[in-house]
Amino acid sequence: MNLNPIVLDLAVLALGLVLLLLEAFNEEKEKPFFGWLSIGGIAIVFVLSFFASQQIFVGSSQLAQFYKADALAIFYKRLALGTTLLVLIMALEFRPILSSYLPAARKNAGLGEFFALPVFTCLGLMWMASAADFVMIFVSLELVTISFYVLVSYMRRSSASLEAGVKYLILGALSTGFFVYGITWIFGITGQTNLLAISDALRVLAPASHTAALFGLGLLLIGLGFKIAAAPFQLWVPDVYQGAPTPITALLSVGSKAAGFVVLWRVIEPFLQTPAFAPKLQLILVGLAVLSLIYGNIAALPQSNMKRLLAYSSIAHAGYLLVAIASWKSGQAPVTFSFYLAGYFLMTLLAFLVLIVVNQSTGGDDIANFNGLGQRSPVLALGMTISMLSLAGVPFTVGFLGKFFIFFDAVKTGQWLLVGVGIVTVAAGFYYYLKVLRAMYWNVAKNPSPIVVSPLTRATIGVLIALIFVLGVYPAPVLEMLK
Amino acid sequence: MSPILFWIFSALMLGFGAATILNRNPVASALSLVVSFLGLAALFFGLDANFIGVIQILVYAGAVMVLFIFIIMLLDLKAEQRRQINIPALLGGVAIVVAFTAQLVTVIRSYKAGNEPFAAITPNLPDAHNIGMTLFANYNLPFQVIGVLILVASIGVVVLSQRELK
Repeated sequence: MNLNPIVLDLAVLALGLVLLLLEAFNEEKEKPFFGWLSIGGIAIVFVLSFFASQQIFVGSSQLAQFYKADALAIFYKRLALGTTLLVLIMALEFRPILSSYLPAARKNAGLGEFFALPVFTCLGLMWMASAADFVMIFVSLELVTISFYVLVSYMRRSSASLEAGVKYLILGALSTGFFVYGITWIFGITGQTNLLAISDALRVLAPASHTAALFGLGLLLIGLGFKIAAAPFQLWVPDVYQGAPTPITALLSVGSKAAGFVVLWRVIEPFLQTPAFAPKLQLILVGLAVLSLIYGNIAALPQSNMKRLLAYSSIAHAGYLLVAIASWKSGQAPVTFSFYLAGYFLMTLLAFLVLIVVNQSTGGDDIANFNGLGQRSPVLALGMTISMLSLAGVPFTVGFLGKFFIFFDAVKTGQWLLVGVGIVTVAAGFYYYLKVLRAMYWNVAKNPSPIVVSPLTRATIGVLIALIFVLGVYPAPVLEMLK
Repeated sequence: MSPILFWIFSALMLGFGAATILNRNPVASALSLVVSFLGLAALFFGLDANFIGVIQILVYAGAVMVLFIFIIMLLDLKAEQRRQINIPALLGGVAIVVAFTAQLVTVIRSYKAGNEPFAAITPNLPDAHNIGMTLFANYNLPFQVIGVLILVASIGVVVLSQRELK
């Protein structure tokens, strides 16, 4: 089968619209039904994505101007679909907590939209993955961001959620401002919004305009830095991650970051290919990577809340991903950081899935809530253990292999500063990830009753654990997708 | 557009923009924003972008601002409390703004093409027609994406603002 990737986008759009219309016209319908429908729909599109093949659009059509369907685009569409699928499964698990924070007139009110909006976020992420033009990048980025503004502040009776929503709104708007200003500079200098045309224009750019082009690039990097949660643009991350409904935190930390990185790569690629800009851009990337690595890993050390811990860990992982981009001279950067993101997707979502079940049965998301989890639910404890070990980078897990590829590239291109900082921060990472293991297996629970895990969640945890190990020793399937 | 008019309208826009932030009374802030928008609209007219200028007045200064003031009146917002000024935060903010402005000035100075006079633009009328054609013919795909975006935004507004979810 030879599916045009744009069919995937349209299928997700149709699914979102169907969900909304069904929600509007079936008032009596049980709300979990919408959860199952959205999960089923996204799962079907996810399977379909394996039949999609690369396309090159030519001519003067809209697709040729704005849309890209290369291997990278299809890979990130798949990642967005996978993330959304898992997030919707989490949302199903998260329903009771969500309901308790909604001003609902009757049982289950307001849950339908909670299953429909992530579908639209997914659509935005998929469009971001395919965007080949600044206009398209901007509108799809905004689709993602605006749906996040709503989803982050969804728990209206929780002041933490509202605070997170306001913070995300203000800082998100600020970063969008920088991003658009950057686009106008680049457009002003090159006269183009299409990335391919910009690439051509940069090659023949008069040296007098180089400073201005770099200024525009700097503004773009500020805007994208917010999206990928890299230091020093990380201020919003801990509070927003902690306050947002947990499934949305997961979507934010994986979906938004992955799409941010593919857009970052597409935006800086033309500059990296121009000798006049490459060394300076390289310097900025190294700086961002070092700051993110150090800040994320050091600030994670004293955290006692699991969501905050994962927030700082997300900043730290942005650092590792930036190391991959800063080692672009190896020619492998897109493959390396995409593989790392695939691993990050598995292990982070596994952590969030366990966190949601634990949160629901213990009523909190502090590390102390994990006390004695090893006895209360061996499945959950095993899932969390694997996830933490993989995030820390223990051999035979996908986290290790991802870091290995990144540092292999860094050594190959002679980025010794990054290698040095990377090794030190990986060691720091072990400390805070293993803190969770200590709570689960050595500390005693206040309430030792077993935790019941639903079959769907149990199966999902099993699949994620298996994938973490399989890709940890046999990465070929993912690498194959990126060719 | 004569340079004098440009400077007058720019000053108007920036001055009232600052007033929007500095005023403690929300109604005064909103009205300063209206004047700031009018200054911006005048700049658009000066660039012969008549349609955008009109939209700027109709939509922003008209509809959006009426909505703002409506909400301020409905919520009965009082003047903002005088806050303790956080000196380190203030200094940090000022430092970033100064650094950014200095950067901007240097870049603009070094950008030679910025000093060259523009070729005269012949106003291409009717510009509403031109904008419509460009939007629907050349930028159709992003335009459709914006359609989805607005759908999501309007659902979000309903979800977040309904008194009780049904």
